Amino acid sequence: MADDFDNPRDVELSSLSAIYPEIQQPRPDDPYTITLDVPVNPSKAVTVFFPAAADDASLPTSANGVNGAGPVGPDQQAPVDSHELAHLPSLHLEITLGPLYPTEQPPQITISTNPPWLPAETIKRLEDDAPRLWEEMGRDIIGFTYIDHVQQAADNVFGLVDDKGSLEVDPRHKIAILDYDIKARRAAFEKETFDCGVCLEPKKGSACHRMLDCGHVFCVRCLQDFYNNAIKEGDIAAVKCLGPNCAKQRSKAASLSSKKRKKPRTFINPSELLQIPLDQETVKRYVTLKYKTELEADKNTVYCPRPWCNGAARSKKHKKPQGLELAEVSDDSASEDEDDEDDGPEGEGKSRPYKAAEELLAICEECAFAFCSRCHQSWHGEFVRCTPRRDKEELTAEELASLEYMRLHTSPCPTCGAPAQKTHGCNHMICYRCQSHFCYLCSAWLDPGNPYQHFNEAPDGRVTGCYMRLWELEMGDGDDVGIGFAGGRGGGAAQVAPAAVRIQDLIPEIEEPEEEEEEAHAAAEPQHEEAHANGGQVGVAREGPLVLRIAANQRAGPGRGAPRGRQPAPPAVPAPPAAAPLPVAARGGARAARGGRPQQQAGRGAGAAAAAAAGAQRGGHPGAGAAVARQRGRGRGRARRQNNNNPANQAERAQRRNLNNGNGNLGDLGGDVLDPRHEEWVRQFVQAALNDEEDILFFDDDGPEWDFLD
Amino acid sequence: MASQKRIAKELTECTSSPPTGVTVFLPKDSDLHRWHAILDGPENTVYQGGKFGLVISLPTDYPFKAPTITFATRIYHPNITNDSLGNICLGLLKPENWKPSTRLLSVLEAVRALLVEPLPDDPLEARIADEYRSDRKEFEKTARNYVQRYAKGPPKFDSSENSSTAHEGDDKKGGSGSGTGGS
Repeated sequence: MADDFDNPRDVELSSLSAIYPEIQQPRPDDPYTITLDVPVNPSKAVTVFFPAAADDASLPTSANGVNGAGPVGPDQQAPVDSHELAHLPSLHLEITLGPLYPTEQPPQITISTNPPWLPAETIKRLEDDAPRLWEEMGRDIIGFTYIDHVQQAADNVFGLVDDKGSLEVDPRHKIAILDYDIKARRAAFEKETFDCGVCLEPKKGSACHRMLDCGHVFCVRCLQDFYNNAIKEGDIAAVKCLGPNCAKQRSKAASLSSKKRKKPRTFINPSELLQIPLDQETVKRYVTLKYKTELEADKNTVYCPRPWCNGAARSKKHKKPQGLELAEVSDDSASEDEDDEDDGPEGEGKSRPYKAAEELLAICEECAFAFCSRCHQSWHGEFVRCTPRRDKEELTAEELASLEYMRLHTSPCPTCGAPAQKTHGCNHMICYRCQSHFCYLCSAWLDPGNPYQHFNEAPDGRVTGCYMRLWELEMGDGDDVGIGFAGGRGGGAAQVAPAAVRIQDLIPEIEEPEEEEEEAHAAAEPQHEEAHANGGQVGVAREGPLVLRIAANQRAGPGRGAPRGRQPAPPAVPAPPAAAPLPVAARGGARAARGGRPQQQAGRGAGAAAAAAAGAQRGGHPGAGAAVARQRGRGRGRARRQNNNNPANQAERAQRRNLNNGNGNLGDLGGDVLDPRHEEWVRQFVQAALNDEEDILFFDDDGPEWDFLD
Repeated sequence: MASQKRIAKELTECTSSPPTGVTVFLPKDSDLHRWHAILDGPENTVYQGGKFGLVISLPTDYPFKAPTITFATRIYHPNITNDSLGNICLGLLKPENWKPSTRLLSVLEAVRALLVEPLPDDPLEARIADEYRSDRKEFEKTARNYVQRYAKGPPKFDSSENSSTAHEGDDKKGGSGSGTGGS
């Protein structure tokens, strides 16, 4: 034992392990072999080159995100791969103190590195330094001296660094070396203390995170709190470095130099968020939101036309650049999105032979629906000509036309603005939506208690612009209303049917079938009152074609709600001329018709004839108020058949004349009836009547619509 | 909690080494989230000699959300609303620009800098900004006038009474500066 104490080897070992507590004795059988890791941390960061890397392995470098990786001196060629490193893999010293050490034998030194990045000759030189030092020291113990020598040599990387501070290393070891550097930095970082800029507390480096892009340090807690909150709220733009002006300055700097990135990247990479660490779920949400934001920012984004999907679909064309960017963003965390992107290029590859198709074919990323990005229909192949996609604001000609139609032929409710179109009846309207009473002519709100005041003379003698105009436009507003003049080209019955179809089309379009009824009701009742209050004839007399109603009025007035007869208005228009032309006359209504003629020619209520006819009809069917419209045609016929006799006719005429006399100017309106279109219609009607098909002209279904006529 | 701690820290910082010309204090029976500050009109500006009350409200999730600062004292300035609300247009405080590591110290400094150099290109009061650009004399006259009328007494912080107290301030010139002796 005493021998041991005298043994200089033991003395040296104990002092060495006091100085370097990390010294190990790897071999239990040989206590005189010690190992020690000498860190290679050059005092000045070294620029490490990986010469051949430019060719084969350049890509992964940036992906590694090594801090401090950056462009080198101008004399270096750009493709050379270089990194500023402060930590190189440490040197592994194995020192064996032989039995003859120190007097007879120098220590056996073996040096290795992992990875073996040091050139063999350097290692050899370092190893040879031991005997040299041993000699210099006069063959004494040199353990500490040697280790110290190696440490000092490590400071300039054993003389491998040239005067420009750069070091060349075999690119094979690049990854390992970079990795080591990151780890070493992290270790050094964790030992430091930082003042977190958010909570203002001093924090150990191990509880902090250094932002990869800018190097700002914040404590993990604050970062988590802030980013979690921002991502939860969807405030993706806030996911940046928390330093004041940091992101801004960097984006400015980046746009100035714009060397490394085309687009300044100030947002945080998802992988960094995971490093902080943030929840996988949160990061996923971040990536998804980010992706969505990008999509929305791109005007060219095409969305899936499926209403239930409506997902962010992209046309192939715009998928590519965005996809790459996002792929870069998403790295490891981006889950499905990335998968989708991976699909993208493949899909594109498939459709490549069809160039047009490539532009048009879009595939929804959510539901994989393939559709045409131009017409938004499911994919129809490339040879189908489709209508170009429209802006949302842009209206089709159809829509424009219908808007224009609405403008011309509807009146808005003064209360709710709902457009109403009058299909027939008086100008007292009740809104189908809000039940406001209003005037069809001027949209004025009408007092439900006395709506007709608007059309009459006020007690104080004042009149509105709608004075005596209650029955203007009685057959409805717009060419298509009611029967219209469909098929006006010929009198053929064949053309009548389409007309009916049109009517039906029209009704849903204007969305007021109910209103019609209501309106009709409304019209009916008030008319009743008015008929009394105002003589009822006033409005009527203004319009020639209203004769029928007049007749109804006259007839039905006393018995029941006089005005019911009003509905058939549209047909009434053409009726008068109808009387003139041939067939009707031929049918036996001749007299009535003829009776009317003089008046027509007088430029007055051409309807007189019709009125006569209708009146006769009424007479003939006192109880048949219901389907006036239908009956009118028929009724007229019947009336004729049933001997629409002169006295009745003349009675009507007399009335008519009275009316006209009473309201001097009114009769003029009747002249309008001679409009060629009317005439055409009449011809048509007559034709139809001859075929006994005139019903089609009016309303095919026996009318619930006409129920109220009773 | 973290928020309270940081606010307390910042308050200590602002009271122990306040930014130039600013006195920060907690109003009576206020929690940590509402501070008051008195800003001395910077030298060599039209606001010189005025004492401007500032109300600093810190949201509960401060510092993740920006604080709001309003002038309790009326002031004629392109970037501060010319009403009893006294809202300030400060880029630093806009939600999209706010950074959690921005400190109130620097915010207060920014407010003061705004008085030294108004930013007429980013105005809250377009008319005043126009005047500032085109008729500096008139602007300065009005601004001085405002200082005389509103900013001479010890600032009143009760924003609801703000408009009515402004006139009282005129009468109480004698007491001016009493609240600002600290700085």
